[in-house]
Amino acid sequence: MTAKAKHLDLWQVSKTYQSAQGPVEAVSDVTLSIEEGDFVSILGPSGCGKSTLMMMLAGLESITDGVVVERGRQVTGPREDVGLIFQDATLLPWLSVLDNVLFPVKILKKPRNEYLRRAHDLLAMVGLSKFENHRPSQLSGGMRQRVSICRALILDPPLLMMDEPFSALDAITRDEMNLALLDIWQKNPKTGVFITHSIREAVLLSDRVLVMGGRPSKVVCDIKIPFGRPRPDDIAESPEFNKLCGELKQYIQSGHKRTEDVST
Amino acid sequence: MPLMVVTVFLGGWEFTVHHMDIPRSLLPAPSYVYERMRTTFSPLMTNAWPTTLETMVSFLIATVGGVVLALALTSSTLMNASFYPIVVFFQLIPKIALAPLFVVWMGIGSTTRIEFAAFMAFFPVVISTMAGLRATPGDALRLCQGLTATPWQVFFLVRLPYAVPYIFSGMKIAITLAMIGVIVAEFISAERGLGYLIVFASSQADTALILAAILILCAIGLVLYGLVALGEWLAMRRYC
Ligand SMILES: Nc1ncnc2c1ncn2[C@@H]1O[C@H](COP(=O)(O)OP(=O)(O)OP(=O)(O)O)[C@@H](O)[C@H]1O
Ligand SMILES: [Mg+2]
Repeated sequence: MTAKAKHLDLWQVSKTYQSAQGPVEAVSDVTLSIEEGDFVSILGPSGCGKSTLMMMLAGLESITDGVVVERGRQVTGPREDVGLIFQDATLLPWLSVLDNVLFPVKILKKPRNEYLRRAHDLLAMVGLSKFENHRPSQLSGGMRQRVSICRALILDPPLLMMDEPFSALDAITRDEMNLALLDIWQKNPKTGVFITHSIREAVLLSDRVLVMGGRPSKVVCDIKIPFGRPRPDDIAESPEFNKLCGELKQYIQSGHKRTEDVST
Repeated sequence: MPLMVVTVFLGGWEFTVHHMDIPRSLLPAPSYVYERMRTTFSPLMTNAWPTTLETMVSFLIATVGGVVLALALTSSTLMNASFYPIVVFFQLIPKIALAPLFVVWMGIGSTTRIEFAAFMAFFPVVISTMAGLRATPGDALRLCQGLTATPWQVFFLVRLPYAVPYIFSGMKIAITLAMIGVIVAEFISAERGLGYLIVFASSQADTALILAAILILCAIGLVLYGLVALGEWLAMRRYC
């Protein structure tokens, strides 16, 4: 597994919002590549442009300057083969859990029967088999977010992007969700972009961590996580893990130090 | 409790009329109104039917038209900027004053009454549906956008269901206004319907018949409102 193919290529990507108070430069001059099958986390202080960057990659926000290329094709808008998970589960309250999971199938006019099986399997994987016919209002926040994960995975997208998917959850549910996500990657690796405020979560899940910061915001630090997969459940207790978290914390606080590669 | 109040009220009314010898043309006793209702039951019914039908048709036109216009107005900023103030203007003016104009322009037929009633009922539907269509959470819209949903899909699968409670609150106002519209148009066009019957009875000083007609109007109004409320209940179970 040496030279992996590039999934996403960002070249001098910038975003300037035009607001009533004048232009706001949210992201400036980001150049990087995300490799096929890598799970990449993005850390950084609030307001540093993480969501903006992800929205540009998803094609939901226009790119002011620069180019994003996905598997050789320039990104100009949303694509159906990208799974998206937001901070809120964003389920449709009148649909059952199962129908919410199958919502992308309906939108893209694919045969429901072919995906029914997969929907059952995904819900079983996140432990919601018994709740298939419940309404979202009958579920807890963590359960709803699990449904939204299933929805993002139903079409088996090669790229999954998540914007602080677990930040509204309590610590215990959050740990469970992290393990569930590790499990999903274990069974079916895909490219992942994951935004979080939690350093430990980023290190636990990722193959690579980016830190954004500065004004206007850039990628200030790019670290490879040297742990292989499958990752043992107790990896978060190991000294290497804690050392890595400590280093990252320093980079976030200093906000400018650039590390090329920690794993070598 | 309300039943008791009504009984006492009717009893008091009956008693006062008999006791004080009030002439029938001024205030007939409830028992006589009932009597009059029984003897003129068939003309009451033949006139109740067009009123009910015209109310329902104009209500349907107002609802469908209102939802469609609301969709058009929320779909583009230009449309919204040009037409929304006009909608609010019509919502605020006393539209009932325009009834004679409708008759002058469009004659005294059933179509005129339906058009006028639909005109009365239309604006609350537009305004509440617009509020509903704007109430879709931004996240849900972003989800659809990310799935490359077409505008029609977004409208029918997401925005319309989110707007259901708003649309029904508009419809509940619309059904009452549609009925008022039909009755007023019947007053003026004087062709048929319970409104016409009321005008006719008042020219004969037949107060008992007026009251009988009003009673039937109340019953129709309550049933129609009840149907809309039932529809709302069903839709809310389905969509909320
Ligand atoms: N639609 C918008 N119009 C104008 N400015 C915006 C808009 N969206 C975001 N911004 C600005 O862009 C900057 C980056 O916002 P963004 O939401 O990407 O930050 P973030 O890193 O995701 O923050 P958080 O961690 O709090 O979610 C902020 O300064 C914000 O004020
Ligand atoms: Mg954000």
